[in-house]
Amino acid sequence: MTQFFDMGGYAAFVWPSYAVTLAAIALNIVWARRALARSREEARRRLAMRGEER
Amino acid sequence: MTWTWFHRLASPPYVYTLAARLTPWFAWPAALLIIGGLWGGLVMAPPDYQQGDGFRIIYVHAPSAWMSLMVYTTMASAAAVGLIWRIKVAHAVAASCAPIGASFTFAALVTGALWGQPMWGTYWQWDPRLTSELILLFLYLGYMGLRAGLEDTQRADRASAVLAVVGVVNVPIIHYSVTWWNSLHQAPSVMRLAKPTMALSMLVPLLMMLLGFTLFFAAILLVRLRGEVLSRERAASWIREIVNA
Amino acid sequence: MNRFGSPATHPVVQAGATHARRAPLWAATDRAAMFDAARLALARDLTLAFRKRGQLVQPLAFFAMVTMLFPLAISPELSRLREVAPGVVWAGALLASLLALEFLFRDDAYDGTLEQYALSGQSLTWLIFAKTVAHWLLTGVPLALMAPLAAFSLGVSAAAVPGIVASVAVGSVALSLIGSIGAALTLGIKRSGALLSLLTLPLSLPVLIFGARATQLAITGGPLAAPLELLAALAVLAVTLAPLAAAAAVRISLE
Repeated sequence: MTQFFDMGGYAAFVWPSYAVTLAAIALNIVWARRALARSREEARRRLAMRGEER
Repeated sequence: MTWTWFHRLASPPYVYTLAARLTPWFAWPAALLIIGGLWGGLVMAPPDYQQGDGFRIIYVHAPSAWMSLMVYTTMASAAAVGLIWRIKVAHAVAASCAPIGASFTFAALVTGALWGQPMWGTYWQWDPRLTSELILLFLYLGYMGLRAGLEDTQRADRASAVLAVVGVVNVPIIHYSVTWWNSLHQAPSVMRLAKPTMALSMLVPLLMMLLGFTLFFAAILLVRLRGEVLSRERAASWIREIVNA
Repeated sequence: MNRFGSPATHPVVQAGATHARRAPLWAATDRAAMFDAARLALARDLTLAFRKRGQLVQPLAFFAMVTMLFPLAISPELSRLREVAPGVVWAGALLASLLALEFLFRDDAYDGTLEQYALSGQSLTWLIFAKTVAHWLLTGVPLALMAPLAAFSLGVSAAAVPGIVASVAVGSVALSLIGSIGAALTLGIKRSGALLSLLTLPLSLPVLIFGARATQLAITGGPLAAPLELLAALAVLAVTLAPLAAAAAVRISLE
C-alpha cells in the first residue's frame, strides 16, 4: 500500500499531476452547470421584464 | 434519404432539448471509462522498466494534451461552419468549447512540467512542442478575451470565429513538431498510423482514458451549449416553456 | 480637411464608382483597378502619416527606451548584454510594432473611410494589404534601421549590422501582417491594447523565435541563411493569408 502512495519515489510528481487533472475535470463540471443555471436565470428575468412591459 | 435530421441541428429549441437528453448518455460512460482508466493506469499497469512508476503521469498528461488539440479543432470547425453558413448554433458550440479546451491545455502543460522534471531534469524547455502548446493556451485565452471584450453577440461570434480559424494552423504544428524538429518531447507512440509501440497492459488504460475524456468533453459541451443557445435567443416563445419548467 | 476631401470624393471610392459605371460588377475586381486602388490607399496612408511626424516617431522612441531598460535592469557588463542582445532587440521591436498596430485602422474607422473602403466595390483584401504595407514602411523598416543602434548599445560589433537589419526587416513584415488581423478583430474596442497583444503574440511567436535566432547568428558571425529564409517563408505565408483574414475581420467589425 505504501508502495502505491510512494509511486516508486515519484510521488511528488505523480500525485500532483493527477490532482491537477482531476481538478480540471471537477472545475469543468461545476463551471458548466453554473453557466447553464446563469443562462436560465437571465432568460427568466428577460421574459419577466418583457411580461411587465406589456 | 431525408436530411431533415441534419437541418434540425440548426434549430435552437431542437438543439436545446436534444442536448439535455443526450448529456447523460455521454456523462455516465465517461465517468465509467475514466474511473476504469484510473484504476487500470494506477494499479493494474506494471511499472515501466525505464521510468518506474513515474510513467503513470501519462494517464493524465496524454488525455489532457489530446483534449487541448481535439477541443480546439472542434471549436475551429464549429466557428468555420458558423462563419460560412451563418448558423447561430455553430457559434454557440464554438463558444462552449473554449473554456473546456483552455482548462485542459493548462492541465497538459502542468502535468507535462511535472513529468519533465524527473525524466528530463527540467520543468520547462523552449522546444517546439512545449512552446506551441503554450501558444495554444494563449490562443484559447485570446479567444475568450475577444468574446468578453465585444458587447454585441453577433460581432463577438464572428470575430472570435475568425480568430479560431486563423489559429487552427497551430494544431498540426503541435502534433507534428516532434517529428519535424529535434524535440525534447518523445515522438508519438499512440497517435500514429502504424501500430502503437506500447505494451497492451499499459495501452488499454490509456485508451480508456482517452475515450473517457472525449466523452466527458461531449457531455460538458452539451451542458454549456444549452446555456449558450439560451443566451442567444432573445424572447422566443420556446424559452417560456423551458424556463418555467 | 485632408487632401482628398470628403469620403465621397476619395480617389479610391471614385475609382470604384467610375469603374462600376463603365463595366459590370464582376469587373470591379479587375486587376488594374485593384492595383490602382491599393496604390492610392498606400499613398494616402503614407501622406497622412507624414503629417503627424510626432506620432511617427513614437514607436521608435519606445523601442529606444525599451532597449535602454535592459542594460539598466540586468547589468552594465557588455559581455553579458551581448548575450541577451538578440532577445532584447526582438522583444523591443515586437512591442514597438504592437504599439503602432493600434493605430492601423483606428483613424480610418473613426472617420468612416474604412467603411467606404468596404463599400467601394474594390477588393478590401488589397486595400487592407496596402494599409499594412504602409504600416510596415512606417514602423518595420525604421525599426530595422534602428536595431543596429540598439545592438551597439548592447555591445554588439559593427560586423553584425547587415544581418541584424535583414532579420528585423524581413521579420517585421510578418509581424505587421499578423498584427493587422488582431487590429481588425479588436476594432473599436476601448483600451484594446492588451487584448491586441494577447491576440497577436501567439501567432507571432514563430517570427520572434526565428528572428532572434537569425540576429544571434549575425552577432556571433555564424551562417544566418537558414533562419533568415524561414523568416522570409513566414513573411510570404503571412502576405498570402493575413490580408484575407484581416479583410474578413474588418467586415465583421464594421457590421
